[in-house]
Amino acid sequence: MNETILEMRNITKSFPGVKALNNVSIEVRRGEIHALVGENGAGKSTLMKVLSGAYNAHEFEGEIYVGGNRQEFASVRDAKAIGIEMVYQEMNMMLDGTVAENIYVGNLPGKHLVNFRKLYADTQDILDRVGLDFKPQDIVRTLNGGQMQMLAIMRAISRRPQIIVMDEPTSALTGDQVDLLVDFLRDMRGEGVACLFITHKLEEVYRVCDRVTVMRDGEVVFTKGVGEVSEEDLVEGMIGRRIENMYAPGTGVLGEELLRVEGLSVPHPTYPRRDIVRDISFSVRRGEILGIGGLVGAGRSEILGAVFGQLTHGVRKKIYVRGKETPITCPRDAIRAGIGLVPEDRKINGFIWAFSILHNLTLPSLRELPHRFFINFREERRTAGVPFERMRVRAPGMDTQITNLSGGNQQKVVLGKWLIKDVSILLVDEPTRGVDVGSKAEIYAIMRELCAQGISIIMVSSDMPELVSMSDRCLVIANGTVTAELQGEDISQTNVMQAAIAAKPA
Amino acid sequence: MEKKKPALLKKFIASQELSALVPLIIMILISTIIQPAFLSPANIFDILRTASFTFILAVPLTYLMASCQMDLSIGATTAFGGVIAAIASNAGLPLVASLALGLLAGSFVGLVNGILVVRCGLPGFISTMGMQYAVNGLISVITGNNAVLGLNGAFKAIAQTRLFGNMSLVVLYALVIGIAGHIVLKKTKYGREVLAVGGNRDTAYLSGIDPDKKHIQLYTAVGFFAALTGILYASRFSSAQINAGQGTELTIMASVIIGGSSMFGGSGTVVGSGLGCILFAMITNALIVMGVSTFWQKVVFGVILILALFIDRYRRSKSAGG
Repeated sequence: MNETILEMRNITKSFPGVKALNNVSIEVRRGEIHALVGENGAGKSTLMKVLSGAYNAHEFEGEIYVGGNRQEFASVRDAKAIGIEMVYQEMNMMLDGTVAENIYVGNLPGKHLVNFRKLYADTQDILDRVGLDFKPQDIVRTLNGGQMQMLAIMRAISRRPQIIVMDEPTSALTGDQVDLLVDFLRDMRGEGVACLFITHKLEEVYRVCDRVTVMRDGEVVFTKGVGEVSEEDLVEGMIGRRIENMYAPGTGVLGEELLRVEGLSVPHPTYPRRDIVRDISFSVRRGEILGIGGLVGAGRSEILGAVFGQLTHGVRKKIYVRGKETPITCPRDAIRAGIGLVPEDRKINGFIWAFSILHNLTLPSLRELPHRFFINFREERRTAGVPFERMRVRAPGMDTQITNLSGGNQQKVVLGKWLIKDVSILLVDEPTRGVDVGSKAEIYAIMRELCAQGISIIMVSSDMPELVSMSDRCLVIANGTVTAELQGEDISQTNVMQAAIAAKPA
Repeated sequence: MEKKKPALLKKFIASQELSALVPLIIMILISTIIQPAFLSPANIFDILRTASFTFILAVPLTYLMASCQMDLSIGATTAFGGVIAAIASNAGLPLVASLALGLLAGSFVGLVNGILVVRCGLPGFISTMGMQYAVNGLISVITGNNAVLGLNGAFKAIAQTRLFGNMSLVVLYALVIGIAGHIVLKKTKYGREVLAVGGNRDTAYLSGIDPDKKHIQLYTAVGFFAALTGILYASRFSSAQINAGQGTELTIMASVIIGGSSMFGGSGTVVGSGLGCILFAMITNALIVMGVSTFWQKVVFGVILILALFIDRYRRSKSAGG
């Protein structure tokens, strides 16, 4: 199975002022899963656009060979015709169509009228093969994010491609869905399909892939078999410098209890008269990182939202800050009590697009600046400068628009705005989602520094290595309750996973 | 970056305050060439006076739009405020009391708008359009569909008094309101919070700001200033016309957008809105000076409004990219 199916030779693609790809060559073999890793801006997406035909053959330099034959694509259609399928992160589903229609869209069986019998039967075949538990007739809107992502992959597969490209396919998947996908990809490998697997998660490279190509700054750093390359080497290849310790170690020194939550129940966001979180209690001590693990949709984010006062409708809770019962009915109450929240998706509600770094940083602490009405601009700049320096935000200055930053630097700003305040409890939801590896290590280091200063952190995370390495203590949520409270050596991926699927959702 | 000329133009269009300046200068040049009388002091004062009326309402609307809300009922509220104040004054109430009544009526309409949008979750664009109809109907009911005539001298003096020979007092009002509006938006915590609410409501909420409260306050303020504009119109024309503000909602909205605020919140500039108002007043004036029919004026306004939206979209795509 060492036959080359795809070869991209000396691809160079320039945009005005930047060379997005500089003489990139990559070859993919039949029946292999080939990982493509690199930081944001390394050129992965541009390379895939070249491959998909989104740029026509005149818009870049270099050659593409499929099965040994030179190909010049004029459009995406040409690339599809030769058997190249892309699965993007944005899934482009017809939400009100059925599963079957979405898989076979543009490719429906039947001459003039749709042969629905065949459509549903074929769809059922595919679903069975992968082991997905929804029906061909189900409306897509009722599926969850992970199920839709699987559907997008099935759609690509149904066209029987030679080469399939997946852009971070697991980011929306739950643990067992990832298992399904991995099994399925191994099947496909047996059938000789080549898969290019773009990912940020290095563990997946080792778990799923045969070979890996690392890109940086529009160039290929190396291509190696996954057995021949260590995780440190991968990271070094991606960011150009060595990170000795991705996860900064904790001091293990814990103080008194800072926050205690008792009897927290949160109604389910979609099902009426059902609770997504039922009567759970927990506490966190000074200097501690309390991890919260569990499957996507287990109610972890809702726990943070309810504590912070973002979710209030139908929420029952008792919150004690430093031993004193503190009613929290809105985010302002929480902020007053010294609690800060870094939300799950910074693009949705983490920052304000139209604002500069400076204005984003000072937003929660604006009221505390001197003078009741007027903003003391000098003072504002001075207070914002502290987290700006400390978070090592890479930007020309604080007046830079936040939209011009990379995901990692945006996240540093979102985290940094709570450092101006006297925050003693920080709730962080997926602290490093969509963050490049270099910034990731920095964010971990800062979280540890904050703990050493006596701040408590409650961290929800779907990134297993992160959850396991960063938590001093770890709660696992499943079916609305705490199914495990792990400490020290017991915090392992196996234990977390076991507890996460311990109680099947009712 | 590569070519110099377009970059400068782009910078102008992208810069918030000054985007209205370019069309303004072009406008002045064209008008003066066609009709030199355009630049006479009397005509300039006239333009400034016309612009002042719309600007007084454009200031709070800049805030409302910066907070990502819209009010299409301002035209009706303008007439409503004028009519109520005029009726009260004619009924023999003292000037201050009748003005207060008019302003209160306008504020009340704004408050209801705010409550409908915030508490009942209605889309502001449509619900304020409903309000526009309702208020217009109410005006007809109250006045029997006739203008309120015969205002007393004190009432007329509010807008008809002239300073330094020729400058209308309204220009002074507009200047004071404009300066205050500019300072509050750019230099105070309140202004920053309004921009934050418009930029991203959820982020603002999670930062401890109450977006609902802001929206209700701003709708109420817009109602207040709409009524004030209506009172000034009534004073200037010596009678409260029942269609005093008709159509102004669109021209004022366009002025604000041309001035550099976004339809979609998060940015706003009072200075820009001022320039936008002057631009519109100038276009109206130029069309009249050149003897173009009022029907064509409507066409021109419509085109400019659509053009304003294009500029807004361009600016947004610029700032979102990268």
